[in-house]
Amino acid sequence: MSTSSFRSSTVNPDEIALFSKLSSQWWDEQGECKMLHRMNPVRVQFIREKMLEMQREDTDTDAQLDHPKALAGLKILDVGCGGGLLCESLTRLGGLTLGIDASASNVAIASLHAAADPGLRLIPGPFVPTTTPARTSNLTYEHTSAEELLARGGPAQFDVVCSMEVLEHVDNPRTFLSTCAQLVKPGGHLFLSTISRTPLAYALTILAAEHVLRLVTPGTHTYAKYVRPDELLGFFQGFCCPSPGVLGDGGAGRPWISRLYNGAPARTEAETRGIVYVPWTGAWALVPRGSPGARWGEGCNYLLWVRRPLE
Amino acid sequence: MSLLTRSRLAASVCKRSGSTGLRALSTVVHEDSDVVIVGGGPAGLALASALGSSPVVQDSLKITLVEASDLSKVRDWSVASDSFSNRVSSITNTSRQFLAAIGAWPYVDERRTMPIEEMQVWDGISDARITFSATEAAPAGTTAPEMARLTENLNLQRALLRYLDTTPSIKLLDKVKVNSIEKEQEEGGGWPLVHLSDGRVLRARLLVGADGFNSPVRSYAGIQSYGWAYDTQAIVATLNHRPRTHFEPPNTVAYQRFLPTGPIAFLPLSETVSSIVWSTKPPIAKALTASDPAVLATMINAAFRLPEVSIRYLHSQILEAHAAGTPLTPQQILEETSWRERSHSINQYSAYSLSALGKTAPGGIPPEDSDALPPFITSIQPDTIASFPLRFNHADTYIGGGDGARTILVGDAAHTVHPLAGQGLNMGLADVESLFRCIQNAVANGTDVGSHTALMPYARERYFENHKIMSAVDKLHKLYSTTASPVVWARSVGVEVLNELDTIKAAIMMSAGSSRRSSTQEVGWSVAASGIETLARNINTAKALGGGVLGLAGAGAQSLLKQFANMGRS
Repeated sequence: MSTSSFRSSTVNPDEIALFSKLSSQWWDEQGECKMLHRMNPVRVQFIREKMLEMQREDTDTDAQLDHPKALAGLKILDVGCGGGLLCESLTRLGGLTLGIDASASNVAIASLHAAADPGLRLIPGPFVPTTTPARTSNLTYEHTSAEELLARGGPAQFDVVCSMEVLEHVDNPRTFLSTCAQLVKPGGHLFLSTISRTPLAYALTILAAEHVLRLVTPGTHTYAKYVRPDELLGFFQGFCCPSPGVLGDGGAGRPWISRLYNGAPARTEAETRGIVYVPWTGAWALVPRGSPGARWGEGCNYLLWVRRPLE
Repeated sequence: MSLLTRSRLAASVCKRSGSTGLRALSTVVHEDSDVVIVGGGPAGLALASALGSSPVVQDSLKITLVEASDLSKVRDWSVASDSFSNRVSSITNTSRQFLAAIGAWPYVDERRTMPIEEMQVWDGISDARITFSATEAAPAGTTAPEMARLTENLNLQRALLRYLDTTPSIKLLDKVKVNSIEKEQEEGGGWPLVHLSDGRVLRARLLVGADGFNSPVRSYAGIQSYGWAYDTQAIVATLNHRPRTHFEPPNTVAYQRFLPTGPIAFLPLSETVSSIVWSTKPPIAKALTASDPAVLATMINAAFRLPEVSIRYLHSQILEAHAAGTPLTPQQILEETSWRERSHSINQYSAYSLSALGKTAPGGIPPEDSDALPPFITSIQPDTIASFPLRFNHADTYIGGGDGARTILVGDAAHTVHPLAGQGLNMGLADVESLFRCIQNAVANGTDVGSHTALMPYARERYFENHKIMSAVDKLHKLYSTTASPVVWARSVGVEVLNELDTIKAAIMMSAGSSRRSSTQEVGWSVAASGIETLARNINTAKALGGGVLGLAGAGAQSLLKQFANMGRS
């Protein structure tokens, strides 16, 4: 595999080498990816609840909160899909999912795993964008980067773009965010998860997880690459999708976040939520909205949802 | 399935090549099913019913239940209203609420069930007695609650089957055995393949072992289990007895007497029919079940009434006669019991006097102490006498890992317990409720229901909970098996003191009820948590140290019986 083939890439070759080495372990639920497996249902819960909330917002009806197919018929992109943990879940919820990863071995592992599951309807890549909506969910994996996908298929391809635990591993986060954001259709959704740059995050994710408990390989994380929630919100305050045909930041249109109220965006524009590991239940949990510790809860792992404004 | 066959199959598949796409070649064409439940007992049927009750689950998962026996026999089970099956369970309020929540309880024939409103338990040696009454635990504003409901297992199973008739998307395969289970040899897959006796092969995303004590799913999963056989057999039978008179409480009181050979429990089923579960030493069980049913009926009457020394004597007579090949006749046993009665100078106007009870006509004014004892048993329903060995068994884990991945155990496949507290079935139903919740959550979040991550909350919720109940029941059995006088004295004082403290008893039972998530009305039994650790320590210490720490054993007996009160019985 050569990452150099990716144009103007934000992909970091060293990081890719590291994750390729891990690829055989993606689906070992008791191994190195144990924490990621446990985190996954909570990430999906956040995505599902947010999508349903916005569906209710848009249609002004009471969407069923426990509806099993919250993502039915939506085109979803997962950037940095790894072993496909998130992709498989999103497909089960009805999504027409494309998972891309810069590591060929990750894509191979993800495809192999999904092929064994008849419920996922794995379609071999490369991904072909179709205009006719498919009726059943399906899943495709492709070894490519977000930049390549944007160059190939143009902007505004997906209803939902996710990138979980990727931002802290890329070389140029501004370009990466901009690329991901451009792939979102107007009115579509971008979900990110990453780690905040706080002493707490350093203590938990690097000191404890890597060096003391050895839950993950030392060197997996780099503190300087962590991004704080306010930095992300700031980015989207200044971010407008370029007009069709023009590449690059700061084109026409509205910014994704119009303004912050006391540091928080409007509920219909964006949201950050902390996600914490609760050792005594052995599970991750979303920090409840508006709880006294909500700000503190974003001090380590957190999720961001932001919506592209309708033009 | 043996390891040998598995590895041979692996070898043959490997020879063909490692590529995918061989699925159809390497095995018979298989059917995919998301959840395969092995076993059509109460736990398996309840799980199928629960899954069938959830539209969200039905939309997303294909569910199959496999059972070796003919389920139509259970579905069409129908007997006269005054004759009852000998396998009876107490369904706790918690379990009943779960069954009601999934919509299956209305299919239970309630006329064949009996609420338990009071429970009397006493010591076979000292007669120290404790009474638990549902009214004591009733929260203000609720009416006559019950502690549990006695239900024939067949009644429950039939209800679940009838309920499943209304959920056609759940596939029931009966009269089909599981021939073997093997791990699929596909890279990235490794799902369990269930080979059925009709030649079909089911490929399971999640394989549920609800297949009882000798669980084939457990052995496929490679899960070891820990346990032992008690030196005890349980005799079960359905008893006919006189109705209670207007001067007595209705037949809603369960009685249990702890004899050193094991507890004997009387479980009401209707005004004139009740069930018995008598745990005793295997030779005694053998001799009793081989005797004339009238002899057994007299022995049951005696076992609740005569002092322990006489019971021991009667046992020895029965054993001797059985060994000699000349079993005692009903007349001989009656003579023996009335002689024992006279020698103990039992007042012939008391409820303890068998000879008097046997002669007087039913009705009239009952003796003063009649509510301390079960009604006088007149006969045993034909073909209802049976016995089975008792054991303690707990799987090391409930979730299969490694080569046995995508498997989960519920009910007796996971745990077997002494029936003295009647928790076996209720533990199984609690397992089912918890697993059902896990599967629902997994479906909602798009998680693979066969994955360890999806199933882990089930094991976390149930394993320790079951273990606490099981060790409580086991310790209770052991505490009451001893005849050593310091221990008897201690456990009796503990129990008698507790029995006087009505408010505390009520508080115990109420806290048990309110500890459930939803309802304040029920009396559950999850209070087990509080007393258990102290208990286990206390009994062992009391045994080791003897006289100096008698109070500890008393405290142990107290905490055990507190929990016991909140348990149903079977």
